[in-house]
Amino acid sequence: MRRSPARSPSSAAPAPRTPVPPLSQLRARREAGRAEGRAGRAAWRAGPDRPRCGRRRALAGAVRGALGPRAGGRCCCAHGRGDADADGRRLLEALSLEPPAARYRRGAGRVRRARLPNAARVPVLERAAMRGLRAAPAAGTGRAAGGAAGAVLGGRLGPGDGGAWRGCAPRCAAAAIRPPPARPQCCGSSAAASRSCMPLCPACPGELQVLPGIVLRRDFAAYCPADGELRALLVSEPLQPALTAPGVEFVVDSEGQYQASLRWITKRTEALMKHLQSNNVKLLLSSSKQEEAVIHYAKLYGVSVVECLSSEEMALITEITGVSPYAPFGDNMDRQITETAVVTFCRPLLLVSKRCVHIGFTSVCAFQPHCLILCGPVDGVNEQHADALQEAFTMLQQLFKTVDRREEWRAEGESQSETSDVCTWHSTTQKQLVIENTYCDSNQVSECQLKAVSDETETKILDPDKSDLLVHNRKKHTTTVLVVRNTDTVTTCECLDVAKGVEKICCHVVPFKQEESSVGITQDYSNTLIEAGSVLPVGGYFEILLHYYIQDYAKQCQQSEVTVICNVVADALLSIPKTLYRTTKRDSFTKFYLEAINSLRRNQPLPDKGLESVYCKYQLVISVLHCVTELLSIDLIIGIRRPLQKIEDRDSEDDF
Amino acid sequence: MSRLEAKKPPLFISEPLTRDAVSQSLSLLSGILKSSYGPAGRLKQLHNGVGGCVCTTSQSSALLGHLSVSQPVLRVLTASVQNHVSRFSDCGLFTAILCCAFIENFRSLNVAPFTVIKISKHLLSLCMDYLKSEACACRVSVDFSNVETLVCLVRSILTSKPACMLNKTEVDHLTMLVLKAFLFTVPCHVETNAILGKCVIVPVKGTRVVDSTVLPGLLIEAPEIQLGKPLAVKRTGSNAIKTALFSVSMAGDGFNPEEGTIAVHHGVSLEASELNELLNLGKQLVKDEVGLVMCQKVMHPCLKQYLKENGVIAVDRAGLCLMEPLGRLTGSKPMASIHSLSLGCYGSLKDLCFESFASKHFIHLIPEDTVICSLILCNRSETAWDELKRVCETAEHVLQLTMKEPLALLGGGCTETHLASYIRHKSSHLPANTFKDLDCSQTQYQLVSDGFCHSLETVARSLGHNNGEVLTDMVYGHCWFVPSGSPCVSNWADLVSKCGCGMNSNTKDLNWRFLQGQSSSPIIQSCPKEPSEKVTDLLTLECFAAKCSGLQVALETANLILDLSYIVEDQN
Repeated sequence: MRRSPARSPSSAAPAPRTPVPPLSQLRARREAGRAEGRAGRAAWRAGPDRPRCGRRRALAGAVRGALGPRAGGRCCCAHGRGDADADGRRLLEALSLEPPAARYRRGAGRVRRARLPNAARVPVLERAAMRGLRAAPAAGTGRAAGGAAGAVLGGRLGPGDGGAWRGCAPRCAAAAIRPPPARPQCCGSSAAASRSCMPLCPACPGELQVLPGIVLRRDFAAYCPADGELRALLVSEPLQPALTAPGVEFVVDSEGQYQASLRWITKRTEALMKHLQSNNVKLLLSSSKQEEAVIHYAKLYGVSVVECLSSEEMALITEITGVSPYAPFGDNMDRQITETAVVTFCRPLLLVSKRCVHIGFTSVCAFQPHCLILCGPVDGVNEQHADALQEAFTMLQQLFKTVDRREEWRAEGESQSETSDVCTWHSTTQKQLVIENTYCDSNQVSECQLKAVSDETETKILDPDKSDLLVHNRKKHTTTVLVVRNTDTVTTCECLDVAKGVEKICCHVVPFKQEESSVGITQDYSNTLIEAGSVLPVGGYFEILLHYYIQDYAKQCQQSEVTVICNVVADALLSIPKTLYRTTKRDSFTKFYLEAINSLRRNQPLPDKGLESVYCKYQLVISVLHCVTELLSIDLIIGIRRPLQKIEDRDSEDDF
Repeated sequence: MSRLEAKKPPLFISEPLTRDAVSQSLSLLSGILKSSYGPAGRLKQLHNGVGGCVCTTSQSSALLGHLSVSQPVLRVLTASVQNHVSRFSDCGLFTAILCCAFIENFRSLNVAPFTVIKISKHLLSLCMDYLKSEACACRVSVDFSNVETLVCLVRSILTSKPACMLNKTEVDHLTMLVLKAFLFTVPCHVETNAILGKCVIVPVKGTRVVDSTVLPGLLIEAPEIQLGKPLAVKRTGSNAIKTALFSVSMAGDGFNPEEGTIAVHHGVSLEASELNELLNLGKQLVKDEVGLVMCQKVMHPCLKQYLKENGVIAVDRAGLCLMEPLGRLTGSKPMASIHSLSLGCYGSLKDLCFESFASKHFIHLIPEDTVICSLILCNRSETAWDELKRVCETAEHVLQLTMKEPLALLGGGCTETHLASYIRHKSSHLPANTFKDLDCSQTQYQLVSDGFCHSLETVARSLGHNNGEVLTDMVYGHCWFVPSGSPCVSNWADLVSKCGCGMNSNTKDLNWRFLQGQSSSPIIQSCPKEPSEKVTDLLTLECFAAKCSGLQVALETANLILDLSYIVEDQN
């Protein structure tokens, strides 16, 4: 995701709201480009956000509609069969947006989605931020504005501000899973069981069912009931030898030879199955299709066969069992088969009206596979529920990640305008300040480095009650980096100890006294900004908190530009709770906002509806600002004829 | 390299339910389904402009399968109904009509969809709790030791589809056949893992329905067998017939390498070699005293002739569908190779005989003890046969479902009206904190619950197709149909004799009420009672599991659709 400066600083000079060539001229040129046909001349488009407002509105509208549990704004993505979605990724995919700016947002969304759950709210936030920043008169060039916005947020969540996010612990991890708007429908009893000569398998008792082992969504090619523990063999190629192969010619001298060859093949297959049987292998899992003869002999020798496993399934089984596929074509048939997986059970399972294979493996690793069976009225709903669960797992995996102060992103906020240097803002894992500082004027580098070195020690002696801005602020080049607030909102987080929190059923709020919290920060949490397992109540509290913080910071800012951008970002954040509370009554957002602010002021406990991971939200906001910055920094979109080659950049994979 | 075609942007529709096109399609679909519902339903003829088969039906599976629905909203509806039908076979129309009614009724309310969904889910849970409770007055328990309720159940299913074109005797005949066939599939000796058998439907078209019959065992069509000739089958020492079953082609059609090449020297014939091998196999079969050889695919005429000469009956082209029942029936394992025979693969039969129905000849495989049977299903026309087949399959499936859950619901609209009465009663006696839990006002709850009950009554009402009045009584909450053309009188008791399901006959003081339209005055409903004296014969019954699922699917799908605010349609 790291972007190298696209232009030299001097080219950033043109007025912010004027695209390089005037719009009409560009259109004309585009037409010309078309007329010239395959001449290969690049087609030009004016600034990213000018044309096709309707589409952008569509993106925002659809996604905003789908946000939140009480949404009432499902989106139906129609392609073939009916589906209904309230899932950010699916929506973005279905919209198949063509305007490049939207495409970029979608791409960013996908990347984010791979790492972060709950990406649906990102576009909402993004759009609000974009709108705000575009409208901000003092925003300067897009890049500067975005950079500053990033700086603000980075600063807000940055070092010295850890008080707000620390000390939150999970109550019950599951509580954080936001249920999708529609609940899965009851997984009907195994209706067609007897119709297809199937054992009457137990009916699924509820809406969803967790089964041990794995379910393969195909029927047995051969099923031989076997009780107790058995051994399974993985194969990835046909077990029956073939007379010929591609590029191989089989020469028939005589009829006898031909028949003998065929007979040999059959005998060989039979011998192999016998061999499997003698090795107590009772299940054959094959990624390729097997010949009928193989199935026949498998049935004869009591070996169940499942064919056509996908490579993912094979990989999963290999991972669980530690067994790699067996290659049968050694001459030595007497060789003991050692690479077998231990199977605790293996039986047919009827899901709705499809026969599936249900296998339990003895795992060699810590991972004990389980299957979750979801049943909904339409396939699309099922997929959506599956995605929601996947997201929940992603979220849980990230819940215990921490953000260290040292990792914090820092930008050189306002100094940009003065230095007129490119202060691009980097992704969050900028480990060394020194790297960034190289972008600054060379005469400041030494100072920056000094600061970087002293950073850690500084944070320890912070006194939030007295100093609003760090000592460093006096050094001219960074003003936004480290800010500590002494607001009572510190108390807003639900604070539980990680260890205690697991047992507690309900959350309680420990109101922090100002002094306590600051002591806490300085003593225990000096190196963590977001502690592992930090959570906040769902429903817009994170956004309101952040909004509050940023606004508060903006008030103290001397530089008007930063103030403006702070306000824009703060207002953009409110678009999330606004969307969440848009439905029922007209003034419900205002009511919620006032209630939230009041309870924050009075250290009252926040309503306990569900929790969300602070780490995930933090990353989400960072991503959004990153994306917005990038979009605002673009001044020209160039249409090209050939699709761009995708370059795998490994750096960005490690970002979060 | 193929040219990249520019993708069309997706079509973006907001608030689809407010669009005229959607409401028109919805009311059209709902009209089609309503008019097809029930024993008096009107038939739909499905055909395309090009030619080919015509399908006359009133079944949801056939209707929805063939209708091409263009509205994405309705595709959600049809997909979920089809999903329900694939699981339960029955109550497809009920589900679809109810779902349409829910959408239409809830949409017209001035309540936010989110609140509607919450309240309607609560109402659904009230319904489901009631249906599953012992106190439920609209369900009957099915006693498998007594055939009466089962007969009612099967008869109700058969009569509900008028496109089968059955008269009363035919219905009675088929009811018994379906029941008999089902009982054949239940294993006599039940172990821990009971596996039901299979009933194979054999089509015989162009004859009377009463010629239909059920036979234990399987029938395989064998056109070349001459009737009249005595059937001499080789038997083993224990007087059983040894059978062999092949799943591989026995036509000697040679070796067809998928990849690579086979070079054949001059003078060598692979075909001759294959045939030779087949005849060797024949010899082996004769030597093993096999009496019947069956092949899924084609058998070489020479081999057939050879087997015939040696007193072995050869049947080929059995088809894939019959392979599993054949294997189960005879106990033989299908052989996938002609190169080696294993003794363990042979099966056995008690007897073999010829049967012929209409102009078709069959070999009847009679097993010792089986869970496989054949239902020879006759009907006069092709399209009526198709409908009848679907109905028989549904009945078979419903019986299986009923075996798992031995309950049935009252048919003829009585379950719907009874549930509506129950919900009316229940929703007016709710504790106040329910509304708080649901985050709604009592008025909102009343509105939604009225819509809910009204939707249920819509389904009951769509059973009456002759413009007659449809009534419900305030005592039992059952559904009563007034014959058309009756004068509008104050005393309905003179006109109606029996309720829809047949459980209540007309008694005075039942306090009738119209089902039509939304009543202006609130209906004060007491808890519907259970009739004191229960009639058990000639009841109209419905499958419990299918109806419960239908109710749930209808509501959840309706909620899903009500919740839609955008449609993104891929135009590529």
